[in-house]
Amino acid sequence: MIARLLREPLLQFLALGAMLFGLHGLVGKRSAEAPEKIVVSASRIANLGDGFARTWRRSPNEQELQGLIEDYIRDEVFYREGRAAGLDRDDVIIRRRVRQKMEFLADDMSVPEPSDEQLAAYLASNPERFRAEDQITFHQVFLSVTRRANTIESDSKQVASVLARADGAADAMALGDPFLLGEEFHGVSPSKITGIFGEDFSKQIAAMEAGRWQGPISSGFGQHFVFISERISGGSPLLDAVRPAVRREWANAQRLEAERKLYASLRERYEIVVEAPSAKAAEAASR
Amino acid sequence: MIRLPYISAAALAGVCAACVFATAVAAEDQTTDIGTLDKETAVKAFPAKPPYSPYAGRNFPTRPYFGDTHTHTSYSMDAGAFGARLGPKDAYRFAKGEEVIASSGQPAKLSRPLDFMVVADHSDGMGFFPQLVGGDPGLLATPQGRKWYDEINSGNGAEAAIDIITSFGKGQMPKGFPTPGTPAYRSAWRETIKAAEEANEPGRFTAFIGYEWTSNAGGNNLHRNIIWRDNGAKASLVEPYTTLTPLGSPNPRDLWKWMAMVEEKTGAEILALAHNGNLSNGRMFPIIESFNGKRIDREYAENRTRWEPLYEATQMKGDGETHPFLSPNDEFANYERWDKGNLDLTEVKKPEMLEFEYVRSALKNGLKMEAELGVNPYKFGLVGSTDTHTGLAAVEEDNFFGKTSSSEPSAGRATHPFVKTDKAVIMGWETTAAGYAAVWAAENTREAIFDAMKRRETYATTGPRMVVRFFGGWDFEAADANNRMPARVGYTKGVPMGGDLNSAPNGKSPSFLVAALKDPIGANLDRIQVIKGWVGKDGQAQERVYDVAVSGGRTIDADGRSKTSVGSTVDVTNATWTNTIGAGEMITVWKDPDFDPALRAFYYVRVIEIPTPRWTAYDAKYFGIKMPAEVRMTTTERAYTSPIWYTP
Repeated sequence: MIARLLREPLLQFLALGAMLFGLHGLVGKRSAEAPEKIVVSASRIANLGDGFARTWRRSPNEQELQGLIEDYIRDEVFYREGRAAGLDRDDVIIRRRVRQKMEFLADDMSVPEPSDEQLAAYLASNPERFRAEDQITFHQVFLSVTRRANTIESDSKQVASVLARADGAADAMALGDPFLLGEEFHGVSPSKITGIFGEDFSKQIAAMEAGRWQGPISSGFGQHFVFISERISGGSPLLDAVRPAVRREWANAQRLEAERKLYASLRERYEIVVEAPSAKAAEAASR
Repeated sequence: MIRLPYISAAALAGVCAACVFATAVAAEDQTTDIGTLDKETAVKAFPAKPPYSPYAGRNFPTRPYFGDTHTHTSYSMDAGAFGARLGPKDAYRFAKGEEVIASSGQPAKLSRPLDFMVVADHSDGMGFFPQLVGGDPGLLATPQGRKWYDEINSGNGAEAAIDIITSFGKGQMPKGFPTPGTPAYRSAWRETIKAAEEANEPGRFTAFIGYEWTSNAGGNNLHRNIIWRDNGAKASLVEPYTTLTPLGSPNPRDLWKWMAMVEEKTGAEILALAHNGNLSNGRMFPIIESFNGKRIDREYAENRTRWEPLYEATQMKGDGETHPFLSPNDEFANYERWDKGNLDLTEVKKPEMLEFEYVRSALKNGLKMEAELGVNPYKFGLVGSTDTHTGLAAVEEDNFFGKTSSSEPSAGRATHPFVKTDKAVIMGWETTAAGYAAVWAAENTREAIFDAMKRRETYATTGPRMVVRFFGGWDFEAADANNRMPARVGYTKGVPMGGDLNSAPNGKSPSFLVAALKDPIGANLDRIQVIKGWVGKDGQAQERVYDVAVSGGRTIDADGRSKTSVGSTVDVTNATWTNTIGAGEMITVWKDPDFDPALRAFYYVRVIEIPTPRWTAYDAKYFGIKMPAEVRMTTTERAYTSPIWYTP
């Protein structure tokens, strides 16, 4: 019932009105008393100047610095008055921003430079993530389904029989249709092949042996005969070869752990009471 | 019956004679002199003698790289407010194909990794902690301060963090110690740079350093993203330019001044690209500048064209190619339209604003202004990007993670308002699952991709990774569409997208080699079109759409159009389609039938996919909900290339 009342626009409006009234009273009252002090310290001014210098790569001139100070004072006045009036409370943006600051604090400060042992251990326990990809060099003879809508099956058989007699990749270079991305692919990884031809193609070519014409492999573009001339196996790399990646993933794991720890340690300080609404009350409130 | 074309290696070499050296030279020209590909001279200077191997000397870009120049993370104030929890590091990991947990708690993964990305958080309010721990002497004099400072700097800050927070809570902070909220701690900009440096893997994945300058005076979108070619050492010499006075400014002229300062003082190379002219209420591509009410002058034109070689033509807040009001004869113009008002919907749209908001009209006005000022302010190439505020550059229709963290997949996201004011409302379903930037670079590095962006060898897609080639020259002929190496013949006989054609040879019309390949896991293509814009003898800008290749045996009429629709196979209820219509690949040579060598013109390519289910159809299917009748459930994805300009 109360929850529902609180959602009433009229009530919200009245509450807002009351708050503004209060704010007005506050401002009015305070101005009658001794004024509060805003001190713009020398270090603050130096700070404002630094900010300018980091943007413009030069120090501000007198007038610019005066502008920065004036703007700072203006910020401070509104900030103080706004806070005094409670405008920061229950403001979802401010709450989220403060929360983010806390999380930032945890994750940036929590990542020491890892030792080689730590990285080696991380690599050893996650070998698949850092496995270097295979590299394949191949030629293709492409038959376009667009160009050969009705004859692709019979053409494909013809090509297959020609290629069965072919002696190497070069023998077939002028066979088939042009392919926009070319007919020779040098040292490409399975993920690149997937990007160009799709996943099915990539899987099929991965299982084919080198040194002779094979296929056809079907793709969304048509049929492809392939001649693999070289395949370099990726395998498990040494730490030195993948250090940056291992370091990055290790740091990411640390970061998540630090954030979890910080939250856990802070949460411990609270006794948390969740007053879950009973089923009936929840139903009533949502009606 | 055998119809296999046999072309001997010798004939092939003959076709490509001259090209090997010429290509190398042209590529150099491209990097030093934006857009001017002086191929003719190169051919003369290096008489052709091709090497034996047809593959030798092939250093032109052979495949496009796909990426996003516009990902926001929790470092952006508005993204954080919407509940984004993922930072730049997460965003890069996701782009590289890793699975991450989205802010809404759902696992998210791309169908395929992207090749590059720019985390572009808003510069205003980016720095929570505008300064790193500076090692202030007064602070270091306290034992506590010294201890924490050393801990933080030696990377052992986990305990320090808890200790600091505890001390802060108890009011036991050493005097002058930088605490969250006081000037200090760390800078989000440095973190942004660090994340990019860590994620960058030359040859495999490019992580650019960048940010967004979010000029929004009066709610009118003049946003630009800034991208560095360089590494963190140079980027960290400055902090991002903001729009808030007194340090920053919302006027693009001031941004350009800042960019010039950065290049001069830090030796870095940077570029800017704007987006969402559709929400600028007539201010994105002005003829009259909104900041001073004066007509654009030569200084504005020079700076704009110098610093802004690209424009983001399509993204989640709608498509920016053209508008039905501006292009009434273009039946594909009404695409993902956002034309209710400015960015925050505080001012409604008026028809007369549209001319200064969209790509095509800006390109046209650019030609007119070039005649007047001697410089074309709007000579930009095209990319798409996401503008996601979730850290997740996921814009495939069946894998759309929304504009903000509160619009990540959920049953209600489509019917929840995205922006709502007393003037208008934009519903969640109107957000667009788009787009990506495609770049023809020779390799996947910051330098190569940046240089390709500067020479505008780029195109926009609304999400699918189709391959699009576009070359213009004077000598393309029909047989070139059957060449074994379309790219080589393209670079040899012409200039690629983003380039220039000058002074037409006597009696010749420009001809174009145009080709597209569908996304290997995506939908077939409906048609390829060339969009031409020009300024007539009367000084009026004109435009015309030509269908140059259509699928399924349809014909192109004498007026250059194919009026037969490709049809549709979309089953909205099940969110499926089939590739039984359309074509997987198309290539053709097209010659301008209405060329007048005395008139300035531009040409760009638009590739249209067959209809597919829109993300709203996938949502309806997955969540088992019924969308309101006005919700669009199908889409026709597309690509837009950078133009090729003709200047008499």
